[in-house]
Amino acid sequence: MLTPAPITGTGVVKRLGLEFLSFGSLRKAGRKLWLGGWLFHLLLGVTLLTHIVTIFFPVIWSTVGYTWYEVAGYAGILFAAVISFLLFRRLFHPGIRYFSKYSDYFLILLVFSLAFVGDYARVFGKLDQGAVSSYLIGLLTFQPVLPPSNLAFLTHFLLAQLLLMYIPFSKVTHLVGWVLAPTRNQRNVARSEWHRNPWEPRVEIEDWESYAQRYRRELEELGPGGERA
Amino acid sequence: MRLDLTHPGRKYRLHATRKRDMEALPLPFPRDWTPDNFNLPPDWKEIALRKLDEMRRKYRGLQLFLDICVGCGACADKCPFFSGTADPYNMPVARQDLLRGVYRRYFTTTGRILKDLAGGRELTEDLIRDWYVYYYQCSQCRRCAVFCPFGIDTAVFTMAAREILTAIGLTPRSLTESIAKCEVSGNHMGISPSAMLNTIRFMEDEIKEESGIEIHVPINKKGAEILFIMPSADFFGEPHWHTFKGYLKLFHQIGLDYTLSTYASEGGNFGTWLNYEHMKKINRKIVHEAQRLGVKWILGGECGHMWRVLHAYMGTMNVERDFLEEPISPITGTHFKNANHSKAVHICEFTADLILHNKLRFDSSRNEQYAVTYSDSCNPARFMGLIEEPRYILQQVCKRYVELNPEVNRERTICCLGGGGLLADETLELRLRAIKPKIDAIHETGANFLALICAIDKAVYPEYLKHYGLQTQVGGVHELVGNALVMT
Repeated sequence: MLTPAPITGTGVVKRLGLEFLSFGSLRKAGRKLWLGGWLFHLLLGVTLLTHIVTIFFPVIWSTVGYTWYEVAGYAGILFAAVISFLLFRRLFHPGIRYFSKYSDYFLILLVFSLAFVGDYARVFGKLDQGAVSSYLIGLLTFQPVLPPSNLAFLTHFLLAQLLLMYIPFSKVTHLVGWVLAPTRNQRNVARSEWHRNPWEPRVEIEDWESYAQRYRRELEELGPGGERA
Repeated sequence: MRLDLTHPGRKYRLHATRKRDMEALPLPFPRDWTPDNFNLPPDWKEIALRKLDEMRRKYRGLQLFLDICVGCGACADKCPFFSGTADPYNMPVARQDLLRGVYRRYFTTTGRILKDLAGGRELTEDLIRDWYVYYYQCSQCRRCAVFCPFGIDTAVFTMAAREILTAIGLTPRSLTESIAKCEVSGNHMGISPSAMLNTIRFMEDEIKEESGIEIHVPINKKGAEILFIMPSADFFGEPHWHTFKGYLKLFHQIGLDYTLSTYASEGGNFGTWLNYEHMKKINRKIVHEAQRLGVKWILGGECGHMWRVLHAYMGTMNVERDFLEEPISPITGTHFKNANHSKAVHICEFTADLILHNKLRFDSSRNEQYAVTYSDSCNPARFMGLIEEPRYILQQVCKRYVELNPEVNRERTICCLGGGGLLADETLELRLRAIKPKIDAIHETGANFLALICAIDKAVYPEYLKHYGLQTQVGGVHELVGNALVMT
């Protein structure tokens, strides 16, 4: 539990939801970091969404208008910029640099190159999106076709697969963390409900009789039976 | 942000438990040792790793927190011990990494293969040396967790590391001495029944002298309705004594059928800071005594970590409680449903309820010389969520009440830094360095009275304030209640 801990289940859902949408705790910690972290995840979401739309449902773009497709492109460039801010912060902020591990740098460099190559492919890559779509749909339906021989795309795709493979071994597991953390998902009912502990150890303590024997004389001062009613 | 890579924190190490105390408690591997020469048992490494494995299976929070930290740095500058020392290991994430590194190295595939490339850390005696320093430089106040995007709680790491340190025979004297006293006398101060009786008589006389009203304090009274538990410091401590007086005046005024106990004369629980077993042992006495005396429910005084145990652990670890009844205030009839299982009610909840139902008459002009500010204690504020009750009480009993700077107020509080077993002379300089932001906030308010609801707060603040040259007086919320209470 961590204040403000809700008492009801709905309260927990609301708390986790708000935390997910606004990164409230991070905002308390510092504005710059919050902006970086929040934008990173927002743009990641936007990027993933536009990938799905472009690859599997390209018809949506003609419905909502191609301007949005252009906007998504700029979002991709901003995405790379935000990642480089986070990378610079990791490199030059003395505290964060101190506890950063090789794996932290590896992950952020991986994500940065992924975004950078993606942006490059989009702006200069002369990419045939139809070919990309049919290749990926072919993969997913187990009817593979040849990939487009676009170097930028192939690099981007390789990096994406690397990232997917790395996720289970990396801190990307924090995906589930915000839901599972007991500090956040517990209701403040520690005193009103019984929580069974499966490994509760047995302990022996000195009982009253043995205690009263040791302090016999002194307890008599209080009254009969050590009682001052 | 400035880092001091010479690790100034290493200067502050708690003294070792004496061999005879280790034998008496008993603690693992009784032997002579010092913080310089650990004299570890030969198979300490296996024991430590086995214990870590056991802990991560027991505590889902620990396992999760070991895995999900992204190293974003949100917590880095939030620990007062870091701002006081600039020691990089006092950044919460770096403190966690002392343990997380070992977990990565020995319990994850990438760590076993890639070692420090994956953030792994060899378990060496030097690392244990740092554990002994830095896991005893965390007061488990959980301020860092408030700012963590995942709510990662450094106290979970600190408690696990201390459990491991205890298992390989490394326990600081500041904790074990009090725990040993508690085993014998029932309280950390070693107060015997007759010393307690004398104190109570003295208190009764003092109240009679001050107000002309004769009160009688029951001890070990069988069949009383309520067992009152408080930290034993309240029997003697200054300024705790005046809070104690406040409780007793209040109980007398409302005619409460309560009793104190000599056998369970400690609400505070230093075992909390050592390991689960000792926490449970100390807490168990309260439950035993409640059963022996046949009380209906338990009322708890002003204390920080005592309430962490009563709130979070008691209902789980001492589950036999059919003999208790759901707590209902005999004066107002309020059913404290929030304590239906644990049957333990906080004195601030109890008093706030009395005030709300107009059962008390106050003359707040008796506190008019005080401009009062309230400092949240870590455990009640961040763990229980007990934030509004003390404020409500203070606003009723004082003329002038001011809030602290929001950066160190409510759940963001920086409290006493003396919790977690750090209340020892060895760490005094460290604590004085670390408390500065809080002292600044108190100074800003211009308050001349600092109201607290924690015995350790009350013990350390006079020293801190004196060191920084503030004239602010320190006391409990119920001291002010006692002052203003109109007794009949």
